[in-house]
Amino acid sequence: MADTRPLSDVKILDFMWVMAGPASTRILADYGATVVRIESPTRIDTARTLQPFHGNTLGPDSSGLFANCNAGKFGISIDLANPASRDVVFDLVRWADVVTESFSPKAMRAWGYDYEAFRKVKPDIIMLSSCLMGQTGPLSKIAGFGNMAAAISGFHNLTGWADRPPAGPFGAYTDYVAPRFTAMALIAALDHRRRTGEGQYIDQSQAECAIHFLGPAILDYTVNGRVAGRHGNADFDFAPHGVYPAAGEDRWVAIACRTDDDWRRLCSAMRRDDLSRDARYSSAAQRREHSAALDSAIAAWSKTHDPIEAETILQARGVPAYQVQNSAEAYRDPQLIHRRHFVDVEHPTLGKFTVEAPRAKLSRTPAEVRSAAPTLGQHNQYVLEEILKYDDARITELASAGVLG
Amino acid sequence: MPVLSPYRVLDLTTERGLLCGQLLGDMGADVVKVEPPGGSSARNIGPFFNDQPHPDRSLYWWAYNRNKRSITLDIEHELGRNIFRKLVERADFLIESNSPGYLAERGLGFSELSAINPRLIYASITPFGQDGPKASYADSDLIIMAASGPLILAGDEDRPPVRLTVPQAYLHACADAGVAMLAANHERTRSGLGQYIDVAAQQSVGMATQAYILAAALGSTEARRMAGGIKFGPLDIQLVWPAKDGYVAMTMLFGSALGVFTRRFMHYLCERGFCDQATRDKDWIQYGELLFNGTEPLSEFERIKEIARTFTRSHTKNELLQLSVEHGLLITPVTTIDEVVDSPQLESRNYFQSIDHPELGASFRYPGAFVKFGATPIKYRMRPPTVGEHNREIYESELGMNASETSELKRKGII
Repeated sequence: MADTRPLSDVKILDFMWVMAGPASTRILADYGATVVRIESPTRIDTARTLQPFHGNTLGPDSSGLFANCNAGKFGISIDLANPASRDVVFDLVRWADVVTESFSPKAMRAWGYDYEAFRKVKPDIIMLSSCLMGQTGPLSKIAGFGNMAAAISGFHNLTGWADRPPAGPFGAYTDYVAPRFTAMALIAALDHRRRTGEGQYIDQSQAECAIHFLGPAILDYTVNGRVAGRHGNADFDFAPHGVYPAAGEDRWVAIACRTDDDWRRLCSAMRRDDLSRDARYSSAAQRREHSAALDSAIAAWSKTHDPIEAETILQARGVPAYQVQNSAEAYRDPQLIHRRHFVDVEHPTLGKFTVEAPRAKLSRTPAEVRSAAPTLGQHNQYVLEEILKYDDARITELASAGVLG
Repeated sequence: MPVLSPYRVLDLTTERGLLCGQLLGDMGADVVKVEPPGGSSARNIGPFFNDQPHPDRSLYWWAYNRNKRSITLDIEHELGRNIFRKLVERADFLIESNSPGYLAERGLGFSELSAINPRLIYASITPFGQDGPKASYADSDLIIMAASGPLILAGDEDRPPVRLTVPQAYLHACADAGVAMLAANHERTRSGLGQYIDVAAQQSVGMATQAYILAAALGSTEARRMAGGIKFGPLDIQLVWPAKDGYVAMTMLFGSALGVFTRRFMHYLCERGFCDQATRDKDWIQYGELLFNGTEPLSEFERIKEIARTFTRSHTKNELLQLSVEHGLLITPVTTIDEVVDSPQLESRNYFQSIDHPELGASFRYPGAFVKFGATPIKYRMRPPTVGEHNREIYESELGMNASETSELKRKGII
C-alpha cells in the first residue's frame, strides 16, 4: 500500500547531528519524509554517548536520546574527509529535495559542501544550516550544545530562586525549541518551491529561534526597561502557584490557582474554608504578598497525601493540579498511555526500543514512527543500491577506498 | 514574496495558542485573529506598556500576535456563528485552543466546518489532547510542566522543582501545531482535502526532557535535579558555573564525543597553570565509567570541578566567552534579558526588529525573524492588532456588508 503520510514524497539528505538538528528531521520522518542521515564512521555522534541508556548500559546504539531523535531514518556512514566520498555526496544531493546540516559554519565550507556547490548540481535544492548562533556574526563559530545557547539567550537566568544562583532549565533547552522551527521552515520552503520552482538557503540560529519563547520578558525590557528575574515558581497573575511537598521521598504536587474561584475550591478541598474567609487572602495580589504563610498552610495539607491522590482530589474540584512526574510516573500516566505517547519500535540489535510518539495527531494521514534509529552504517547497502542505484562494482570500489564506515 | 503568502488562517486561539498563528503570519500567511467582543482574555495578561493594564497594551498579547489582523465576533450567538461560517468558506487553516468539545458544542467542530470547506485544515491545541481520562483536567503552564517531565529535573535539590519563569508549555504545543499544519498543507496539494489536527501540550513538552521521559521505559536510572546541573547516579554534573561577575554555562562531560572537549579544556587549564600535568592527562574519554565503577574516587572529580571553578571565577562572563571562542571551549555566559537585547552577535545579524505602534506614538524592538530565508525573508508587516482593528476591512470590504449592517451587528454586540 502506498505511503499516505503527508511528506511521503519528500527526500531529505541530513548531515545534522547531536539533538537540535536530528530532532527536527525525526519530526519530518514521522510525517513520511525519506531521511538519509550521514554519520561519520570516525567521529561518533555526541547523542550516541548521552543518557538515558537502553538497559542502563553504555553502547553506541543504546542512547535513548539518539534513538528518540533518529527513529524512522536511514543511516549511512561516510567519511566526508575522504575525497572519494564526494561523488556519493553529490549523487545524494541530486536525489534530495532538502539538505540539512548543523556543523559549525566553517565545517561544510571546508569540505566544499556549501549551498553554492549543491545548487550547481541541483538548482532547486533547499538547504538549511542550523547552529547555535547562526552563520554570521562574531559568535558564529562558537561550537557547543543547547545548554550553552539557552544560557546566552536568557533562559538560565530566569529559572531558579531569587536568593540562589540560577538553576537553569533542564538540559539543552534550545534543542527543544529549535527543531519545530527547522521543520516549519523546511516544509514552508518546499511549498514555495512547488509554487515557484525556486529553492533556497535557510540560515537558522538556534538561539534566535528560542528567544521567541521569551517574548513577553524581552518586550518588558524593550518597552518598559524592566529586566526580568527568577522567582521560583511564583506567577505574576496566579496565586497560590507552586510545587508543594507530597507524602514520600522527593515527591511533589504542582498546584495553580488561576482565579479566586480556584482558590476557594482549593480551600474547600483542603477542608480549610477558614483560609478562603481570611482577609489576607482575598485577592491574588494579597495571596502573593502573604505567600510564605499561605504556602506552608498548603504544604501542611499536601504532605499528608500521595501526589496522585492530591492531584485527584483537586482536579475533581476543578483546581489545576498534577503530580510532578518523573519518567516512571509519566510511563504509567493514564493520559500519556491513552494518547499512546510511548511507542515501541524494533531495534536490529537491542530488541524493543521505546521512543516518544509523533508530536501531533492528524486525522486522515497520521504521522507514524516506523523503525528504530539506525545503527552506524546500517543502511549503507540500501542507500547505495536502492536509492543511488550503484552497481556492485561501484559499491566495492567505495568500500575499498575507505569511504564507508 | 513571503513564503506562506497564499494562505488564510483563522485564529480562534485563547492565551494557550497564540504563538502558532504568529509563526504562520511571520512567514506571510494572512492570519485573522477572531476575538470575542471586547477582546481576547489574553489581552488581560501582563506585563503592560508603562504598567497600564489595557487590552491594547498587554506585552503578553504583543509578544504573540504580530502579523495578524483582528476582528471581533461573538460565536456564542448564532448570528456570529453564521458570519464565522462565511469566513471558513475561504480559509485554508483554522487554529483553536478551547477546551475539548467547546467549539463542537457550538456547531463549529471539525466535522461541521469541513462540510462547509473540505479543504480546511483544523488544528486544536489543548493541554492534554482531545481525549483520554485527563482530557478535561484544569490546567496551567506549571501543571503541564509537572505532567510532562521537565519540572522534576530542574531546580535546587533542597527545594521544590522549579519552572522557567516565562511560561513555556503552550509554546511548545503551538510550534508542534505549526509543523503539523504545514505538513497537512503539503498533503492537501495532492489530495485536495483538509484534516483535523490534535495537539496535546503534555506530549509536546516531553521534548523538553531530552529523552529522559523515556528513562523508565528503557530501564535506565532516573536523573535527579541539582542546582545548576543534574545528578546522574553518583555523579553531580555541574552545568552552571560562577564567574567574576555572574555565571556561565560550561559543559565538562566525558565519553567518546564530549570527553574530547574536556581534554582540550584541561590542556588549556594546565597551560594557564590551573592544574598539573597528571590532572590534565587523565582519561577524559573513559572518565565517566571510571567514576561509575569506582576506579576514580568521586572526591577526585570534586577536586577537578573545584579547579574548573577557580578558573571560571577568576574571569568575567565576557572574558570567558572570548576564551571560549578563541580556544574552542564549551562556555557561554548566563545572560540577563538586557544583555540578550544588547548582544553584539544579535546586533550584527540585525535580529531585533523595531515595530511602529502609531497608536502610542512609539516603536519597540521585537525578537526578529526566527530563521533567515534566502529567497522568502520573514517580514514584520503588522504590529499586533488593537481589538477589532480590522472589522471594517474584513466585514465590509471582504464579506461585502454595508455600514448599516455592521453597525447593526455592533449594536447587537456581535462584533
